[in-house]
Amino acid sequence: MLELKNLYFTVPDGSNGNAGERNIIDGINFNFEKGKFYAITGPNGSGKTTLAKLIMGINSLSRGSIIFEGRDISALSITERARAGIAYSFQQPARFKGITFRDLLSIATGVIDEKKLLEIISRVGICPLSFLDKEVDAKLSGGEIKKIELATTIAASPRLAIYDEPDTGIDLWTIGPMVDLLKKELACHSTTTIVVSHNRAFLEAADVILIIDKGRFVYTGNLENSLPLLSDLSVCTYHDSCEGEENAGCLR
Amino acid sequence: MLDALDKKLLKTVADLEELPKGAYNIRKNGKLLHRQKSANINIETNAEGTGIIVTIKPGTKNESVHIPVILSQAGLFDVVYNSFIVGEGAEVTIIAGCGIHCGAADPEGHAGIHDFQVGKKAKVTYVEKHFAMGEGSGRRTLNPTTKIFLAEGAAAEMELTQIGGVDEANRLNEATLDSGSLLLITERVLTDGEQKAVSTNNIVLKGANSRANMISRSVMKGNSKQTFYATMEALNKCFGHIECDAIIMDNGTNETMPSLQAKHPDAELTHEASIGKIASDQLTKLMSLGLTYDQAVNRIIQGFLK
Repeated sequence: MLELKNLYFTVPDGSNGNAGERNIIDGINFNFEKGKFYAITGPNGSGKTTLAKLIMGINSLSRGSIIFEGRDISALSITERARAGIAYSFQQPARFKGITFRDLLSIATGVIDEKKLLEIISRVGICPLSFLDKEVDAKLSGGEIKKIELATTIAASPRLAIYDEPDTGIDLWTIGPMVDLLKKELACHSTTTIVVSHNRAFLEAADVILIIDKGRFVYTGNLENSLPLLSDLSVCTYHDSCEGEENAGCLR
Repeated sequence: MLDALDKKLLKTVADLEELPKGAYNIRKNGKLLHRQKSANINIETNAEGTGIIVTIKPGTKNESVHIPVILSQAGLFDVVYNSFIVGEGAEVTIIAGCGIHCGAADPEGHAGIHDFQVGKKAKVTYVEKHFAMGEGSGRRTLNPTTKIFLAEGAAAEMELTQIGGVDEANRLNEATLDSGSLLLITERVLTDGEQKAVSTNNIVLKGANSRANMISRSVMKGNSKQTFYATMEALNKCFGHIECDAIIMDNGTNETMPSLQAKHPDAELTHEASIGKIASDQLTKLMSLGLTYDQAVNRIIQGFLK
């Protein structure tokens, strides 16, 4: 349902002998299937969020193309991609002045009716009803704003939902229900789900694990087979040039 | 009688479709148009004939007074002096506002000079909206002054809004707070084109445990300019906060000068100020929910000035 073809995202960079530019996303090809749960993981700075933002149109492609449900969306704006059925949950959600959770839900769903909004909140389940008239401002805690972010993403009933580190700021007890919620949405609406995360709970829930490093997918497959590579990546980002820990050449 | 234009202005500045319930005083082109008193609220013309005195009996609960002003006479600059005496323990809402319709090339303006004496433990909500419209090219000026004295334990919440069409505004707000009193001011000003607005605020926290919070939200479109001065002077153990945010659109400009003066060792004063364009993460978020760029801008401004 979502096909990434030879995707590049390039930024100017004159350091380290680079030829004036650097590929943050370095030629990614992948086909996401409808109704499956994907977890994208990898070391810090590997390109996870950049890739997610390329799909939503928040970053513009340098090269390549993105095909969504058979249609080339590479040149579409964020708005057009949202209207085409893609929703995005930000790692660090925007904070407003004078805009409430109710306003965001109404914008996401087109629903103004109080009763219907309450139904939506009940369906999403993660935010108490008392959140409805909370302002989405700097007074919210990190956990509260992430719950609101997740709820507005789900409420939009997207066909493709992208969650960038949904567990940031969320307490341990809420992560389990959060995973269940994403799985339930997937089961009920065949929502293709992409989660960018380091959290084991999301990796365990995923049908497919995608490990990204230096802007390329270095692994795609199940969790079990990914574990050796994951533990390696999690402790060291110099694996390409590794000469062994016993060796004085260890770069860490 | 109210004509169609009067009704439109009243609807915009005072949210009135018809004559209101309770006490009211409607002034049109410098003259009294309608007045009604209530059992607890007296309205009379002052001795000089330059304005009104509104007296609210002690203990009055859940009543409101509407005192809108409408102007549609070219060349008129209407100045009015109004006094409000709010009795002990009363709880009232005062809805003021001025709507100008300018149909000619001559300037029109209004200056409402209001003073409030809020009695012990009384609570006042004061809502004031300013708006101007019309096809005429005459300058529309609004220069309101609000002076408020809060007695022990009194509370005042003031919402001051200038929603558009005013070429020049020069506002002065002054407040003196006695022990245990509370003042909340929220000022929202939208300017466009070549409009200019200046707001000067002087708040004196005189009594022990008095509290004041001044919030200013400004949006400058076109080439408009806004200047905001806010001074909080603390003479006792008290708490004061100034929050001023300005959003610049197009080529608008803004100067913001908060000033905190602690003249008592237990005074606690804070301020936060920001001026800038709409944050890009806010725009991106709303666009990711399906709004276009322009719709997202409008929604953010609407919320900001809500």
